[in-house]
Amino acid sequence: MSDLSVMIAAFLTAAVEWVEAFTIVLAVALAIGWQRAIAASLAALAVLAALTLFGASAISAIGNLRIAQFIIGIFLLLFGLRWLAKAIARGAGLKPLHDEAAAFAKLSASAALAERRGAMLVAFQGVLFEGLEVWLIVVALGVQTGHTAAAAAAAIAALLVVMAIGTALRAPLARVPENTIKFGVGCAILSFGTFWTLAALGYQWPLGDYSLPALLGFYAVGGLLLISAFKRPAAMAAR
Amino acid sequence: MRGLIKTLIGDARNLGCIAIITALAAALIASPARPFAGALIPLALLAAAAYLARR
Repeated sequence: MSDLSVMIAAFLTAAVEWVEAFTIVLAVALAIGWQRAIAASLAALAVLAALTLFGASAISAIGNLRIAQFIIGIFLLLFGLRWLAKAIARGAGLKPLHDEAAAFAKLSASAALAERRGAMLVAFQGVLFEGLEVWLIVVALGVQTGHTAAAAAAAIAALLVVMAIGTALRAPLARVPENTIKFGVGCAILSFGTFWTLAALGYQWPLGDYSLPALLGFYAVGGLLLISAFKRPAAMAAR
Repeated sequence: MRGLIKTLIGDARNLGCIAIITALAAALIASPARPFAGALIPLALLAAAAYLARR
């Protein structure tokens, strides 16, 4: 598996999460100032960096390659299934789309930002919790393919891009097509998870590594068909 | 801690779906239906995504 496929998956996952984290940091910064908001965010990023080092070493320390592959595969299945289901529900109109502007307005009006330490905690927790999904993807994809540094670099690149655009705009990044990215990343992560979990259980994929694009195509087409199927009853009920 | 657990495994329905599908995968691979695992498990996962999307 190439550096590039791992980097694309890590970059897109990270971009979605950093956009959500930026909304929180922006609301906190406007309440208590950029310096404190950035300090809290950097503290959360330091925790995530430490977790990445710990997670990568813990998985690498598992002597049995198949057990490590199985554990990573299960975590990717849990993550990918959740993202794909959420993207299908939002795409079909069963759930409202995530609205960064609304999230920003709600947080800005929250009493949690009234007090300096409370606001810093909001920024710290926001970056940490949004970053945990980035951490999971960087560690799982990176360790399994031997490209942890490339995956981490892609996540950091996504952070820099989101920060640069967000700082220039000084507004929530509401125009990012979050659900489309979530759908694509959900399909990709579910494909990696399916491939590695079955391989760890002893299944020989008939096309080897080429089964991965086939799985990706299957989940993408299947997901789009589900969105279209779920849209119809909702549209009929609205008539 | 709850945030970490929710990030890693999602909710109980998500976890339940993956537990059932993993058990199904193990059973299929240990049975004579082994060659079909590569087609049946992705189908089961897509069905699980459909179920979770409607919840």
